[in-house]
Amino acid sequence: MNVVVSYDVSEDKRRTKIHNILKSYGQWVQYSIFECELTDTQYAKLRSRLNKLIKSDTDSIRFYFLCACCHGKIERIGGQQPRDHTIFFA
Amino acid sequence: MGTLYVSQADSFIGKVDERIHVKFEKKTIIDVAFIKLDGVVVLGRSTVSPAVVSELMNRHIPLSFIDERGHYLGRLQPEMSGNIFVRKAQWQAAGNTPQSVHIVQGFVRGKLKNYRQLLVRRQRESDHLDLAADITRLENIISAIDKTESIDSLRGLEGAGSAVYFGCFNRLIINPNFEFTKRVRRPPTDPVNSLLSFGYSLLRHDVQSAVNIVGFDPFLGYLHFDRYNRPSLVLDLMEEFRPLVVDALVLTLLNKQFLKPDDFISEPLSNAVSLTAEGRKIFLTNYEKKKQSEFKHPVMGKKCTYRESFELQARLLAKYLMGTTDKYPPLFIR
Repeated sequence: MNVVVSYDVSEDKRRTKIHNILKSYGQWVQYSIFECELTDTQYAKLRSRLNKLIKSDTDSIRFYFLCACCHGKIERIGGQQPRDHTIFFA
Repeated sequence: MGTLYVSQADSFIGKVDERIHVKFEKKTIIDVAFIKLDGVVVLGRSTVSPAVVSELMNRHIPLSFIDERGHYLGRLQPEMSGNIFVRKAQWQAAGNTPQSVHIVQGFVRGKLKNYRQLLVRRQRESDHLDLAADITRLENIISAIDKTESIDSLRGLEGAGSAVYFGCFNRLIINPNFEFTKRVRRPPTDPVNSLLSFGYSLLRHDVQSAVNIVGFDPFLGYLHFDRYNRPSLVLDLMEEFRPLVVDALVLTLLNKQFLKPDDFISEPLSNAVSLTAEGRKIFLTNYEKKKQSEFKHPVMGKKCTYRESFELQARLLAKYLMGTTDKYPPLFIR
C-alpha cells in the first residue's frame, strides 16, 4: 500500500526520533512528510513503533492512504524525485 | 525490491534503526531501508558489522561476497529452507536415472537453443554477418540431444555446441576496439572474457538464491560432476540463462559502446583484466536493468522478469523431480 505520513511534533528530540524511524520505511519528501510503500505487516510495525513514541496530547501523526490509481496521479513540482528501488550503489 | 552493491573498498557497513548505513572515511555514502532489499553484494573488501549480519539473516536476505576481479568468493545464507521432500527427490534422481537424463537433456537443449536464437537474432540485425553455417551446426547438435540417452554424451554435445558458439562470438562484436579469440578463465586476460566472467559470477549469485529458496541442495547437480565445494545444481540451472542474460548484455554493452577500452585495467604479472570502478558501475547498472526486463514466459504464459524466472525455473525443476509434472521445460525464448 502507498501511505503518505505527516507529523506535527513540537519537541526537537522526539521529532528527530520519529524522522529516523520513518527513514527506514519510506522516502523523505518534505519537512515532516514521508512517502512510504509498505506491506500490511510493515505498516503495522511502523504504526506501533510510532504509537509507542509520541505523546498523544501534544503530537500528531497522520497516515493518508493512496489507492493504486491515485498513486499514479501524484504530481511533483521541484524537490526530489522518487528513488529507484531496484539497485543501490555504494 | 532491490540489491545493494557495495563496491567502495574499505567501507563500513553498519546498521542504523532498520537501515543499512554504508560509511567511507566517516562519511555516509548510502542509507537503505532493509525492507527495500532482497540481496546484498559486497565487492572487494569492506567491514560488515555483526548487527547487519544478524538483521540480514533474520530477514532472509543473502549476503554475497565477490572479489575485486568479480570472482565469486562465497555467501552468508539464511537458514536453508526446510523442504526435505524436494531434497529427497533431488537425491533419488542422482546418477544415471531416467529423470537425470531428462533434466540434463533439458539444460543442454535450453542452453543451445538460446545460443542458436542469439545467433539468429544477430544475423537478422546485420546484413554483412554470415552465421548460417554456425547456426546449421548448432541445429544439428540440438536435434541430436533428444536421441542421446547417456549423460556423458550429452556433456559432449554441450561442449560441441559451446565451441561452435564461442567460435563465432568474435563476429558478433561490432565494436572495433574489442576482440574475442577464445574463452579464457581464471583469470580472464582480455576485456571480453573479463566481462563474461564477471557476468557469470553475478548470475551465479542470483541463481544460487533461487535454488536455496526452493529448498534444493545446491551441491548435487546432474550435468556438472560432483566436486568438492562446487554448487553443481546452480551451475546446471545457470546454463540456459548464460546466453539470455549475460552474453546478450555483454554484446549490447560493447556494441553500443557503453564500455570503452579505458574502462578496463590489466594486472602486470597475471595479465588479469578487470573493470575500473566506473566501468563496474556501468556493468552492474545494466545487469540489474537486464534482470528487471520483462518477457513472456513460454510455459507460464504470463509476463515475468528474468529475476523471477530464476526462481520459476527452479520451481519447475522441483515439480518435475517430485513427480507433479512429467517434463522439465528449460527456459527458451524465441
